[in-house]
Amino acid sequence: MKNLQITTAIIAMIIAIGFSPEVTGQILTGKQIIEKVYNRPAGDDQTSDLTMTLINKSGAQRVRKIKQFTKDLGDVEKSIMFFLSPADVKNTSFMSWSYDSDQSDDQWIYLPALKKTKRISSHSKNDYFMGSDFTYDDLGDRKLEADTHKLLREETMDGKECYVIESVSKDEDYMYFKTLVWVDKSNFLGVQKEFYDEDEDLLKILTIKEVEKISGIWVIINSEMKNVQKNHKTTIILSNIQINTGFAASKFTERMMMRGM
Amino acid sequence: MLLIASHYTKAQNPDISGFARTYEGILFDNGNFGIMQQTLNLNFEQMGDKVAFKANPMVYLYNADSLDFRMRELYLDLYFDNFDIRIGKQQVVWGKADGVFITDVVSPLNLSEFLLPDFDEIRKGVVATKLNYYVGNSTLEAIWIPVFTPTEKPPPGSIWYIQPDFPAPPAWDFSLETITPGLETSEIFLKYTALTSAIDFELMGAYTWDDNPTLHVQKEFSVDPNTMQPILEGLNITPEHHRLAIGGGSLSSEIKGVILRGEAAYYNGKYFLTEDPLQPDGNIQKDYLHYLVGLDFNLGPVKLSSQFIQQTILNYDSNILNEKTENTMTFLARYDMLRETLHLELFSYIGLTNEDALIRPKITYDFDDSFSILFGSNIFAGDEKGRFGQYGDNSMAYLKIKYSF
Repeated sequence: MKNLQITTAIIAMIIAIGFSPEVTGQILTGKQIIEKVYNRPAGDDQTSDLTMTLINKSGAQRVRKIKQFTKDLGDVEKSIMFFLSPADVKNTSFMSWSYDSDQSDDQWIYLPALKKTKRISSHSKNDYFMGSDFTYDDLGDRKLEADTHKLLREETMDGKECYVIESVSKDEDYMYFKTLVWVDKSNFLGVQKEFYDEDEDLLKILTIKEVEKISGIWVIINSEMKNVQKNHKTTIILSNIQINTGFAASKFTERMMMRGM
Repeated sequence: MLLIASHYTKAQNPDISGFARTYEGILFDNGNFGIMQQTLNLNFEQMGDKVAFKANPMVYLYNADSLDFRMRELYLDLYFDNFDIRIGKQQVVWGKADGVFITDVVSPLNLSEFLLPDFDEIRKGVVATKLNYYVGNSTLEAIWIPVFTPTEKPPPGSIWYIQPDFPAPPAWDFSLETITPGLETSEIFLKYTALTSAIDFELMGAYTWDDNPTLHVQKEFSVDPNTMQPILEGLNITPEHHRLAIGGGSLSSEIKGVILRGEAAYYNGKYFLTEDPLQPDGNIQKDYLHYLVGLDFNLGPVKLSSQFIQQTILNYDSNILNEKTENTMTFLARYDMLRETLHLELFSYIGLTNEDALIRPKITYDFDDSFSILFGSNIFAGDEKGRFGQYGDNSMAYLKIKYSF
């Protein structure tokens, strides 16, 4: 069985990079800019199909397909993923409850071959998700206060006027020494993010390739994470995105994990 | 069943998945093949809003021409607002233990290859009706099994068959071993499951049959004409399954990144072989406790898991052939590398009471998402009277090549 420990939904990654349409005339600090990025509206619930493509340095591809549901229930955000392919993980499901408080996430995985729902640790943030270039930490929510944020400069990236923010972790054991994120000044959408390893060398580059406004909310629908040291990359494409459909909270139960979509 | 499923699942074609696998093992002891098995596993699934259907036939080809067909599962699911019903042959897994069967007593085991099959293949399906009633994240599960299915043991001639050591020639009477299906011979299982933020737990009860038959022994004596002492001439052995009442539970919780698991079951009135001369058929009934504590945690990129298991016969009598207490540990280490295409794993059972072990290292490489190759070894070590050490001659290296679709 492949390692299927996962953090919160991929959609959480969109929030972490993502974006408030608010535009102000005042001079913002690095922390204020990142706060606007983190506090971007995401809707009360979201549903989407996710296609993750792992591409190695010779160009060979491995594809994972997932159906995911996320719902904000106030002080807790619940998400559930159903793995559709490849064949050896088909019908596996993963559920996560992520809390606004400091409480650790609760996570479970259902393994259909074993017919067993297992509670798994939410502390493996540095592990890579399904062999991709995204770690669980890359995909999950990150607390604003976990890093020291500094506005380095303003520059143009892909024709967009951007803030460039440096975020240095306050935790010396964190897997990244720092990250740099380019934030579109017009709408606080992320454009690119660089990840630097513990030796302060550039490790990965996340590029946002396509965004779309759905039900009034900006959603990244195409992104790419490239490991520049090992020269392999992962793309994530979302499709069939639905926001605020009001599906029931009973979607996030062991019953649904075992039954499937 | 098929007609109902096809009617309510919008008459679409069933989803077909499965795998084909070749599995060959060479014994260290003599270089012979300890296993030569080809497997085809098929899953036919069709799912609708109200009804779902699954059929899971498996075909095992042993050696050149020994074919073993098994319908692992064949069932129909009916979905309602607050409850589901599953009818048909199905596998049921209970408890939080890994590789150890404590409250996991619904589906019997296929031990024809000892504990070596993958844990998703070691259970046998049971013909049952299962009702699950849901309240939030809690589930009340009730299972009725009208047809008893016993544990499958290695047949004589198998390298996993252990010839019983009798003090006199045995004569077997199997007339009482079969249980006729009926209401009175049904098995009932109940379980309450709660999945909460702080802790997951299960409480279970069962009125079942012991999956392993009790060997009732009648001794035949003659009298030595010279000494006038009795001489044991033979044994009449009658295997018979007996009723068992079992109560227990399991839990799991996370504490600072470590998953803590526990599971326990109390068996009421289990039979044990005894040398007590006052027990005319060589057996005595005792209550029995089986429990486990386990931890799952990460050490860097390595995933580790360990379990301590204890089996205790309560109100023990020194004439009982089993030890009063038997302690076992399991240990698992797993490391995934090369973007989860290369997997290193070590799993071990360690018999603390008998000082024996089964050590199972393996390495798996995924050529792509559907094709993998596995090299592994099963190493039996320690006391030859122990559960694992008795198979010291069966240590082997093996290869599995698997194609999933």
